[in-house]
Amino acid sequence: MIALLLGLTLWSALYAQRRFRRGMDWPFQETEDVMPADGDEKTEFAFARLRYPNWRSSDRMWSMRGSWSIDYPKADRQFVQGVRRLSRLHVRSTEQVVDLESDEIFNWPWVYVVEPGHWDLTDAQCKKLREYLLRGGFLMTDDFHGSMEWDIFMLSMKRVFPEREMVDIPNKDPIFHVIYDLDNRFQVPGIVNYPFEQTHEYDGVKDTWRGIYDDKGRLMVGACHNMDLGDAWEWADSPEYPERYASLAYRIGINYIIYAMSH
Amino acid sequence: MFELLFKYPLTVYEKGSLVLQSGWSLWWWVLATAAAAGAVGWLLLRQWNNGRRARALVLWALQSTMIALVLLLLWQPGLSIATLKPQQNIVAVLLDDSRSMALTEDGISRRDELKRTLEAGLADGLARKFQVRYYRMGTRLSRTGDWKELTAEAPVSRLSEGLAQIAAESGSLPIGALVVMSDGGDTAGGIDRQTLATLRSRRFPVHTIGFGREKAEKDLALLDVQSPVRALADSRLSVMVRLEQRGYAGQRAKLVLSEEGRTLTAREITLAADGKSQTENLLFNAGNAGAKTVKVTLQTLAGETNPGNNTLTRLVQVESRKPRILYLEGEPRWEFKFIRRALEEDRSINLVTLLRTTQNKIYRQGINTPAELEGGFPSTLDELFAFEGIVIGNVEAGYFSPTQVELLQQFVDRRGGGVLFLGGRTTLADGGYGASPLLELLPVNPGDRRTTFVRDRATVELTKAGQESLYARLEEDPARNLDRWKKLPYLADYQNPGTLKAGAVVLAESVTNKGRLPLWITQNYGRGRTAVLATSGTWRWQMAQPLEDKSHEVFWQQLSRWLVGATPGRVVALLPRTVFSDEQRIPLRAEVRNRQFLPLADGSVEARISGPDGVAATVPLQPDPVTPGVYLGEWGAEKPGSYLVEMYATRAGEEVGRDTISFRREDGVTEAYHTQQDRETLERLSAQTGGRYWTPQNVSRLPDEITYSEAGITTREVKDLWNVPLVFLLLALLRGGEWMLRRKWGAV
Repeated sequence: MIALLLGLTLWSALYAQRRFRRGMDWPFQETEDVMPADGDEKTEFAFARLRYPNWRSSDRMWSMRGSWSIDYPKADRQFVQGVRRLSRLHVRSTEQVVDLESDEIFNWPWVYVVEPGHWDLTDAQCKKLREYLLRGGFLMTDDFHGSMEWDIFMLSMKRVFPEREMVDIPNKDPIFHVIYDLDNRFQVPGIVNYPFEQTHEYDGVKDTWRGIYDDKGRLMVGACHNMDLGDAWEWADSPEYPERYASLAYRIGINYIIYAMSH
Repeated sequence: MFELLFKYPLTVYEKGSLVLQSGWSLWWWVLATAAAAGAVGWLLLRQWNNGRRARALVLWALQSTMIALVLLLLWQPGLSIATLKPQQNIVAVLLDDSRSMALTEDGISRRDELKRTLEAGLADGLARKFQVRYYRMGTRLSRTGDWKELTAEAPVSRLSEGLAQIAAESGSLPIGALVVMSDGGDTAGGIDRQTLATLRSRRFPVHTIGFGREKAEKDLALLDVQSPVRALADSRLSVMVRLEQRGYAGQRAKLVLSEEGRTLTAREITLAADGKSQTENLLFNAGNAGAKTVKVTLQTLAGETNPGNNTLTRLVQVESRKPRILYLEGEPRWEFKFIRRALEEDRSINLVTLLRTTQNKIYRQGINTPAELEGGFPSTLDELFAFEGIVIGNVEAGYFSPTQVELLQQFVDRRGGGVLFLGGRTTLADGGYGASPLLELLPVNPGDRRTTFVRDRATVELTKAGQESLYARLEEDPARNLDRWKKLPYLADYQNPGTLKAGAVVLAESVTNKGRLPLWITQNYGRGRTAVLATSGTWRWQMAQPLEDKSHEVFWQQLSRWLVGATPGRVVALLPRTVFSDEQRIPLRAEVRNRQFLPLADGSVEARISGPDGVAATVPLQPDPVTPGVYLGEWGAEKPGSYLVEMYATRAGEEVGRDTISFRREDGVTEAYHTQQDRETLERLSAQTGGRYWTPQNVSRLPDEITYSEAGITTREVKDLWNVPLVFLLLALLRGGEWMLRRKWGAV
């Protein structure tokens, strides 16, 4: 009964968005992907995006909702342009898609996961992700909202680190200061929130900044919950997307990368 | 045989001088001999003028020689020699009572053989002619009334001191000769020149009687152990062990390194040929800070005669200091993160990092105060010299100001620090180092090419020097270490560092798809050292290997120790050794520098010493008149045990610095070493003092021999030579020879 009610709630929310999109003059148009000229340059850093299996649910729509490739590749490429301009990091102009099937991920010590509220890692993948993080890898998660997506995210994370807690990252943590001082953070809305009269999705009213620390007090996982930094990167070039959200999203992303490369 | 022919012992001929008792000049004998020879010749030539002159010449020679000999006897030749007056002189017998005399050979100990030698007649023989005083020679020389009470338990035999003491006492005693009964092992440093000179000036003949085998039949012996005097905590250390054996060639033996009974490392070795010195290395981890007493033991093999020389002890001062390394990185790189992580796990290294995150921002980590290094890389001597090592990452040469370049040079040359240059896309040749004053510091000439940095895979191989280097040890066993290096994941990138400078040592090479390149190059520079690691891709050793694998951490921790382990402070305490076996004099030395790390000549230095049983002393050190900044002193450590020395330097009432070093005093250790009879030393002692070396087998003539001494109360006597049997024999031979020849030639 509870599952049915939950399913109806979700369906109605999604349906409302579809109607909303139909009714509005939608300014955000996908553009054709063009491979940058220096796309295969060998660099110190590349934006690594994790490809993961989706949550399997009896609700077909819910299962379809969310994917590792949301905002891909425009968000990735647009974000690294900012990283190039704003830091001294030698960054590739194109992203790197990795998964937890092979050992390739160990060549990319920083990895981004979008919509982890819909991931469903296998035991083998959980084991590999754990090894990756303990060896020194860093996982940044983004674009998942509300308690249900959090719970689904944590179902896999708990299998990765059953013994570690996901905790709120305090403001004084270096991750919020390594380049930019980010004491005053706010919720970065996704594109579905256009025209941004509200910035949250589902019951994810408050932006939360959480993470998992290792034994030396260094963050291994940075979970950006109830926000959509990926959309902010992707639509930063769109006049309709508010600059203040895009700016914060860039700063957050840069800080997370530089933190991962210095701690 | 000698005395049968010559009537007197050899010593009489050696020490005596020839005299003619008739009082006639020797020239008269020459003249008379010549006249007689001439007359004989004239007569013979007259008689043998028939063409047989050769025979006449032979007969003339025989007759002339006989006449010369007979005439010489008329001149009454004799030997004038000084002899000790009976029972008026003292013979000092020094008996070795050290532990080595307890060694048993052929079923009898050296001590018992010594007693047996005395009992067999030597003691009585001496007593008949002289007053005999026996001295027990051990830690000190002490007179003993009964030589039968020898224990052979003294931890040391101070032969030199014993001889010096006897020489000093001789001023009031009529000492005629010294007899040393020993195996010759002066374990307290040998016979010094002063003692020898005194003995010679007093004309004391020192007769030595040697005991013990000159070569051991079956023995393993540690000859020397060399270990580092100081080390940082958790450092990997190497101990070089020199050993030799007799009777076990080709056999296996176990070499064990232990600390307070706990085995640190052990390995099986194959023993080399008899008497051949062989060298083995043992690696161990220094562990926690403190003075470590490490013991090297060569496990005893069956039948070994002297297991006492199978162990040597050394002291290692594991320092509690935490040297600071400053790492400047020009841009965010994975190498930076993983170096930081590797050294964060190292409790002996304090890493401070400066990371240029943006064009205008430097991210500081590991700083002590918020203001530290606020302006970035140090521009003042005080700021830079506060560090012991510097790592320069991907930083272009032009980033450094001329002042900073000069400071870096002084940091290595004068401060004695270490600088490591990492590879990167804007460093070495790509960073303009080839045309920079920083070139001076590099162990390579990078040249002026570009694109020497390649983001492509490269594997690593140790060179021969790398295989031998302590700092390239991921494993203690050399073979396993080499294997582990070969199994390391490939590097993420590599760089062509350029050509090697003279004196540069390549420890590892990168194997790329374009060939081999020097990867890890080191050199000494001034008081310090510099190195290039031409990659920024060792981070893959961490990410591409299981979490349990510590290759990456160990490599960087070892490399950081190379960087700062030998960086001195402003005060450096020095001792010639860390273990003083049977030596009480401890030479103390301190090297003191000012804030600019120039020698400080006008300071005050004292050594504060604490030792066993509450021993405490403060010893002022005096400036060395020859070398500025060096202060010297000496202290006597009587009690065995471990001592701690803190050298404390001040100038004008202000502390300059302090340094601590440890040493250990041991007694009776060296007595177990070189236990073979040191016949060479005994023979040399006798020869240089006019005495003789004896064995227990031929010692019966010693009392007579001692009689002929110029020391003590002597009388001079002349020994006639006319009645020496050899003279009569010669006369008979000459006359008989002539008679035989005449018969043969038909001339009788």
